[in-house]
Amino acid sequence: MRSSLFWDFLLLSFVKERKKHIGVIFISVVILFLLDSTLFVSSSIKHSLLGALKAQPDFIVQRVHAGERIDMPLEWADKIMDIHGVSSITPRVYGRYFFEPKHAPVLIMGVDFLDEQSHRALAKLISKTDLKSFLSSDQMIVGDGVMQYLKSHFYSDAYNFLTPKGKFKKVKIAEVLPQSSSLLSNTMIIMPIDLAREVLGMDEETVSDIALNVPNDDEWENISDKISALYYDLRIVSKEEVQKGYENLYNYKGGYFLILFLITLATFALILYQRYSTLYSAERRHIGLLRAMGWKISDLLKFKLYETLIVIIIAFVLAFVLSYGFVFGLGAPLIRQIFLGGGEIVNAAPLVPVVDGSVLSTLFLLYAVPFVAAVLIPVWRISVTDPKEAML
Amino acid sequence: MIKIENLNRVFQDGSDEVQVLKNIDLEITDGECVILKGISGSGKTTLLSIIAGLDRPSSGKLLVDGEPIAKLPDEHLSAFRAKRIGMVFQHFNLLEHLSVYENVIVPLVSTDISKDEAKQKAEEAMRLANISHKAQMESSRLSGGEKQRVAIARALVADPDLILCDEPTANLDRANSLKFIEIIKHLHDMSKTIIIATHDPLFDALEFDHRVVPMEAGEIISAE
Repeated sequence: MRSSLFWDFLLLSFVKERKKHIGVIFISVVILFLLDSTLFVSSSIKHSLLGALKAQPDFIVQRVHAGERIDMPLEWADKIMDIHGVSSITPRVYGRYFFEPKHAPVLIMGVDFLDEQSHRALAKLISKTDLKSFLSSDQMIVGDGVMQYLKSHFYSDAYNFLTPKGKFKKVKIAEVLPQSSSLLSNTMIIMPIDLAREVLGMDEETVSDIALNVPNDDEWENISDKISALYYDLRIVSKEEVQKGYENLYNYKGGYFLILFLITLATFALILYQRYSTLYSAERRHIGLLRAMGWKISDLLKFKLYETLIVIIIAFVLAFVLSYGFVFGLGAPLIRQIFLGGGEIVNAAPLVPVVDGSVLSTLFLLYAVPFVAAVLIPVWRISVTDPKEAML
Repeated sequence: MIKIENLNRVFQDGSDEVQVLKNIDLEITDGECVILKGISGSGKTTLLSIIAGLDRPSSGKLLVDGEPIAKLPDEHLSAFRAKRIGMVFQHFNLLEHLSVYENVIVPLVSTDISKDEAKQKAEEAMRLANISHKAQMESSRLSGGEKQRVAIARALVADPDLILCDEPTANLDRANSLKFIEIIKHLHDMSKTIIIATHDPLFDALEFDHRVVPMEAGEIISAE
């Protein structure tokens, strides 16, 4: 079979029978669009989160009772600092606070006046506020989602926190964290450490947990063992574990939808298979006729394979372009809520364009292989029968 | 030369066996025009399909130039159909979404010839079938007679030496049937071997050399 005549006929046939293909392309684009969009959102969030988590401390030491984290004495930080190999240590104060009336949860983080690491991280995010004056007053820096929530409840300059002691504490809003950091900071409120303790109802000599760095990777296991030996109720969480936790969370969310879409894809393949296996009489006659005209079985399979590949490529490229625009241009409305939560505090973090090549090729194979099989197997079954029978 | 010896074709109808062709013996020499004559169900279309390599006999021998075509593997049987057989079907069997020219070219797509050569052959075949003037028209818009001529052009495009026609005038009016017979006469003059399965009385009085082979209930009554 000389290629030029074959290709001419293939393209001609495809164009002339376009109505037959448009339906299949449309369904394919819808399925692939949803699948691509989910994977783009998932990849983008994971990429941004893992990038942000690189700045995390090497270890976090928590006190655990009954499987739950509880506050720990500040003096334990000194004991940990005494371990040889620990370079820096940051006692952290944080906790959940629920905004009434809708019980919207936020995370209050206390920043230590003396902690340089936190100062540096914070200085990168804020522009208007002088950090030293901020740390010495009753002010807070809030995430974008928190600000939007407060505004919607008519708090634009300050908020009155109700402390566990039953008193109101008015805290002024000094600045809003940039939207680009919303993935991590959307529901976050940063305030001086003593103010955070007061709002959360914590004692002066207690902390939520202790973050520490160990520059020598080889010492990680050794130091982890030493810390564990200090107190019986400690849990040590490494940076890798935090990262894996996030990865698993988004893999789980992405995976859940992947399974749903795979079921849809499988159904689609079954429909196609059924369509071609009970090939409507015109299609059967078409195959029988081409065989009667001298087409070999291999010619027919080649023809149908290329015809199917054209459909697949058009659908795949179209779905890719549409979903790319939908996710990174329009911000993936609806789908992002699945990943970033759709609670009272809306997360408007921008999605950084990230396309995972391996995920995309897997998706292509998952779509293309069943599709090609669903078309070619029935065509082959008809091709191997006598042309006269196929034309009946 | 086509040689058929003791050929049988049996179809399975549930648990019953239906013998459509019974002990067929027939010889057709090159350049001969043979009319297989008989009423519906006499087995002439089945015999034609077996000669064309579209169906296989249940038993017996079919040799085309000494080659047992029914036993050929797909690769060779397809090549035989592509290069040696030109088939005209009762219902034309055109690809309705394609134009006349595109329909005519279909048998050449599976061969090794170039695009230019294919174009030349298609134009020549359309000229022989007197349908060149409708080359770009979509097949679905043609009349019955025109469709028949497209089917003839398609059958001729690969320049086969064996033309097989199954009830070629069944869907044509008298004028178009006569035109078809004119084309057949022309092909006969070109020394093509022609086999026509028909029950049309128009073929009783052909004005060129031909042989009528009457068939009845799957048997040839007289091959003389």
